[in-house]
Amino acid sequence: MSDKIACTHCHLEFSKDVMIKDGDHYFCCNGCQGVFHLLSDEGLDSFYDKLGDNKLAPPSEQFEDASNFDSPAFYERFVSINKEGFSEVSLIIEGIHCAACVWLNEKALTNMDGVVATNINYTNNKAKIVWDDDTVKLSKIIEMIRAIGYDAYPYDASLQEVKANKERKEYYLRIAVAVFATMNMMTIMVAQYAGYFTGITPAVKHILNVGEWVLSTPVLFYSGWPFIRGTYYGIKTKTVNMDTLVATGAFLTYIYSIYITVTRSGEAYFDSVTMIITFVLVGKFLEVLSKKSVADTLDIMNRHLPEDIKVVENEKIVTKNVNDVKVGEVVLVATGEKVAIDGELVEGNGNFDESSLTGESEPIYKSVGDTIVSGTVSIDADVKYTTTKDFAHSTMSNIVSLLENAMNNKPHIQQLANRLSEYFSTIILALAFFTFVGWFLYSSSFEQSFMIAISVIVIACPCALALATPVATLVGLSIASKRGILFKEAVQLETMANADTLVLDKTGTITQGKPAVVKAEIVKDFDKSLLNSLLLNSKHPIAKGVMNYIYSDDLKCFELDSLSNIPSQGMTAMYDGKMLAGGNAKLMRTIGIDVESSSESSEFYFAYAGELLAKYELFDMPREDALESIQKIKKLGIEVIMLTGDHERSAKKVAELVSIKKFKYDLTPEGKAAYIEELHKNGKKVVMAGDGINDILALANSDIAIAMGNGSDIAIEVSDVVLLNDTFSSLYDSFKISKKTFRMIKENLALSFVYNGITIPLAMMGYIIPLIAAISMSISSLLVVGNSMRIKFGYKD
Amino acid sequence: MSSWVIAMMLGVSVFLGSIAVVALMWAIKKGQFDDEEKFLNAVKFDTEEDLNDAANLERKKEKLKKKEYRPE
Repeated sequence: MSDKIACTHCHLEFSKDVMIKDGDHYFCCNGCQGVFHLLSDEGLDSFYDKLGDNKLAPPSEQFEDASNFDSPAFYERFVSINKEGFSEVSLIIEGIHCAACVWLNEKALTNMDGVVATNINYTNNKAKIVWDDDTVKLSKIIEMIRAIGYDAYPYDASLQEVKANKERKEYYLRIAVAVFATMNMMTIMVAQYAGYFTGITPAVKHILNVGEWVLSTPVLFYSGWPFIRGTYYGIKTKTVNMDTLVATGAFLTYIYSIYITVTRSGEAYFDSVTMIITFVLVGKFLEVLSKKSVADTLDIMNRHLPEDIKVVENEKIVTKNVNDVKVGEVVLVATGEKVAIDGELVEGNGNFDESSLTGESEPIYKSVGDTIVSGTVSIDADVKYTTTKDFAHSTMSNIVSLLENAMNNKPHIQQLANRLSEYFSTIILALAFFTFVGWFLYSSSFEQSFMIAISVIVIACPCALALATPVATLVGLSIASKRGILFKEAVQLETMANADTLVLDKTGTITQGKPAVVKAEIVKDFDKSLLNSLLLNSKHPIAKGVMNYIYSDDLKCFELDSLSNIPSQGMTAMYDGKMLAGGNAKLMRTIGIDVESSSESSEFYFAYAGELLAKYELFDMPREDALESIQKIKKLGIEVIMLTGDHERSAKKVAELVSIKKFKYDLTPEGKAAYIEELHKNGKKVVMAGDGINDILALANSDIAIAMGNGSDIAIEVSDVVLLNDTFSSLYDSFKISKKTFRMIKENLALSFVYNGITIPLAMMGYIIPLIAAISMSISSLLVVGNSMRIKFGYKD
Repeated sequence: MSSWVIAMMLGVSVFLGSIAVVALMWAIKKGQFDDEEKFLNAVKFDTEEDLNDAANLERKKEKLKKKEYRPE
């Protein structure tokens, strides 16, 4: 073999003799060559300078007809008209690898007549394109994207996404103001504190107070607006919450400080106003930041089903939108195509991949009369089937709507700090009121009573209470992310810490998801190359498992004749005039070799010239660290349950291997979800870990959903926690970190209560000396921050 | 006298700082930070040509807008 050379367009390397030579350039395929020439003609070849060493995927050459994009139905669903009368569409562009790709797409589209704006997001490859529909049609735009080697499909830029973005932006603005004011406030406070201890003239102090007043005003009324709004709604619905406490605390402190400033008596606490709002705002922002968008998930999910299918009508094949297909129509499914509607096979037979429903990678053989379920893929046959349901009632559509339902109704567990703050705020407000009444009766001076009552609220300033949760979760999240555990929302740490049940999917989560040889029995020595040549022709997971097992560098590839795949048995071929056969016991019996099959794992036999040569036993083994981690998780007092779509025997074996006592088998995706619902009814808080499409319903129904890092994109999307490094020990780590974080939150809350328990009685008695107030306020916050840092102990990296 | 200096310095610094904050808020509102990747990467390809493209796009838009018939 000659040396490898990179394709001029996609930069993938192939050996020189398979490349297409074109002048000085080499291409791996016609697609790359086509794109290269198009770019040179359009004067866009500076793309290659920008691309640098990045590699691209070679362009696909097969596309559906782009004219579908011009149908009125499509326009109605995805295209909107903006204020200026231009058409607008949101697309997801596939095949973008780097910034140069974005540049190329934007450039190519911008150069088109009629396109007035393109904006492609570098992070999620979503594009917004604005064009004049009289000059150019959407199909031409899509064709252009395809011509330069990418593909695009539309998505519904639904209100939810827009709303989430707007909310996030609003928080950025509020935080910008709050942080700016707080930073300036700190410099002024340095002067204030220095002056307090070493002496300061009243005039200078007054100037500083006025400066603080100016800085704290926008923080309270602009940055603090969410809290004020929250309080308003709280009063309306007669509930007291964290917002009430923060807003009333900050507002009264502000009023009190203005009074102090104007009358030039005592100490002002404008700094507390800005600090508390800034910190709590940042904490709240963390919650908003990563809120999952249900819309995004459903976009990906819908993408898993074809939109158009081929229907046989009056002996002609017509393409129809899935929604227009009625019950009883005959649908054509070609090799590699996905089934969109449930039905019954009427012509042809072959293997179907049902992994999206069962999670099992082993294909299932179907013949005439068998039911076909939407979401499955035909692996090796062109078949015809009659529909027994319409699209909206088919299995996969059902799953999509159940998923939507589950995600919108996710149980929301109120955070401990929020729950406590309800009582805390009520008590403080009541205490302040009684203090006022008591002092008024005692001294009958309205001004004095009022100031003391306010000082109770000011001193009870919920700094520490409000900080307790955000600081601890922030530390917890950062440790988790360093260990490859991604919590999508901060509150999930607390929810997870309270969970008492862990539900695991079998295939792909506990196990590695592909069978491996566990036992090899060589009956008679043979040339491994022979077996390898036969296996090369199969995509079956068992064949792949055996191939991995016998792999070595010196394997040769023989030329085989009359190769045939026998569904759900194995395959045969001729070599040197004699028959090669590889498959299960059934195949062996058909070719006249008597074998006994008794094992609970899958078996693969290999025979040549009517003689059995070898027997391999394969099993989908649990991950290496599964047993140890599951035992550790059990020690935390969590019940571990396994759910699987697989049959009883292999479920039992895996459960035994990883010491799980309770397991359920033969479950459909809905069955798994129903089981989790049942656990909920029994008062359990459930963490579910899974990886496949068949798990998503269960994941969406659980309190905390964990996805393995190599799981399907839809599972990752639905989940709250992603284990990036895909190991079982990080599952245990995530439990440990969340428990530790939650303990810190509780400690922090306890600390702030102790602090308040000491200072509030002093304030009620009117003994609040400014020095104590100033020091204890800073100390309580410092204690909380310092305590939270302790989560890091035990995690060196 | 000395307090007047303090007041002036405080006022000026807060004023200058707030100009920067207002500029930042304007940029956030315009969506300049919406796409963190673009924020970091697009700078690499920012050339005169891109500026011309942007200007041409504006012109094209104006021209299309002037057409009498507008699709609804």
